[in-house]
Amino acid sequence: MQRDTIEKEILRIFAELFEIESPGLDENLAEVYEFDSIDAIELLRELETLLGTELTRPEQKEAMEIRTINQIIDYVENLAGKRNI
Amino acid sequence: MERRVVITGCAAITPIGDTKAKILQSLENGVSGVKPLKSDELLTEHIYCGVFGTVDYPIAYDFKRRDRKTMGPVSYYACQTAKTALEQSGLTPEFIQSGRLGVAFSSTHGSPTIQRNIYRTFFSPEDTKLRNVGAVDYLKSMVHTTAVNISKMFGITGRVISSSTACTNSSQSIGFGYEAVKYGLQDAMICGGADEYDTTTVAVFDNLLATSVDFNDTPHLTPRPFDRRRDGLVVGEGAGALVLEAYDAARKRGADILGEVIGFACNSNGGDLILPNTQGITSAIQMGLDNAMLNADEVDFISAHATATKMGDVTEAQSIAAIYGDRPAVTGLKGYMGHTMGSCGAIEAILTLYMMSAGFIAPTLNLEEVDKRCAMLQHVTAVREAPVRTAAVQNFAFGGVNTCLFIKQFANG
Repeated sequence: MQRDTIEKEILRIFAELFEIESPGLDENLAEVYEFDSIDAIELLRELETLLGTELTRPEQKEAMEIRTINQIIDYVENLAGKRNI
Repeated sequence: MERRVVITGCAAITPIGDTKAKILQSLENGVSGVKPLKSDELLTEHIYCGVFGTVDYPIAYDFKRRDRKTMGPVSYYACQTAKTALEQSGLTPEFIQSGRLGVAFSSTHGSPTIQRNIYRTFFSPEDTKLRNVGAVDYLKSMVHTTAVNISKMFGITGRVISSSTACTNSSQSIGFGYEAVKYGLQDAMICGGADEYDTTTVAVFDNLLATSVDFNDTPHLTPRPFDRRRDGLVVGEGAGALVLEAYDAARKRGADILGEVIGFACNSNGGDLILPNTQGITSAIQMGLDNAMLNADEVDFISAHATATKMGDVTEAQSIAAIYGDRPAVTGLKGYMGHTMGSCGAIEAILTLYMMSAGFIAPTLNLEEVDKRCAMLQHVTAVREAPVRTAAVQNFAFGGVNTCLFIKQFANG
């Protein structure tokens, strides 16, 4: 999966699910948009759907450290690479 | 320490309206909020009862996503009424968030709509996984979802009470809130209850042969509290919220006082979980009068629980007659909207306040021919211009729980 495709999908998810339109890629989502741990769990479900695969518990826990859109894109890119998606 | 407890805000969402003006208009003109039961593609084809007390008008919610994301339909109702009631009270955000205000709010079983979606996922023939259950589905559906969503939305840091006792949910909420303020545990409480459109509740009562089935083609003619042709209850939806506050503080800040809660009692029948119990109800009424320091002849109006079941109405009539005789006017408000379950106590208390303020007593809708076994009461069968100074709001629940609240008119100025 290409990085620009991932970015487009992440921004779509943020607009549709979290009602956050065009966030800055390096903005702290919690501080700027009140993106909280519940949202992060919801996001993981969406990422599993996006990748068509289930995340392992360590992978899920790793995601809890993420703060920005760019970090989410890195995270998805890494998962897609590991799974040859 | 014992303090007087007054009501400084109230709001309801009911099948007959969500504003004081609309609700009073419906009560004065005999407008029913009972409509045909909507299909849920799951249970309705197996249910004999074909009617439901329905909120079928749009509600303009203006909730931020951060608040909405943990709400099922029941919490939308709860938060909307809490918001309106708190706004009416004039309490400041600083006070609301100070820890001096608590929440007593509940619903029958959280959000059945969300619960049904969870079960649908589990029983779907598709290869669904546990992850298809949303991270917030529990928060939306748990039994205290209304209380905590209200706490979250308004930043309330006081105590949280969520008494899930079905039909006495919200009368208990008001009663426990009243006690919290009366005894100085909190300076104010936002109290009430809510329940959403739910066919599983209809199915539960249908299985017990307790629902109305004879008026499926004429929904507005049922339920029929105390009427000879009553054939059971009608489940409904709605919400009610009241702000209770210590009298001295309300007076000091110049709040508009809508009424005073002067007494509350709650007891258990101590036996059967379904059958109504004259002794238990009579005892609850007497305990409430004692708590309010009232004589029976000081009560002008009784909002009866009166679900229009065959036995329940007779049992309640016997208890009222045993304590009050035929002096107070009696109305079964469920005739207008059915049994709104966890919200009925709050809604009926609010409608009583509205009628106190408007100076009339609404009749029991659909009471055309009083059942002889209930005839010993002073039933209200037509709109009656009459002052109500003191009223009792009675509610009883499965499990043998009885509550009785006493509300007094308050003269501002």
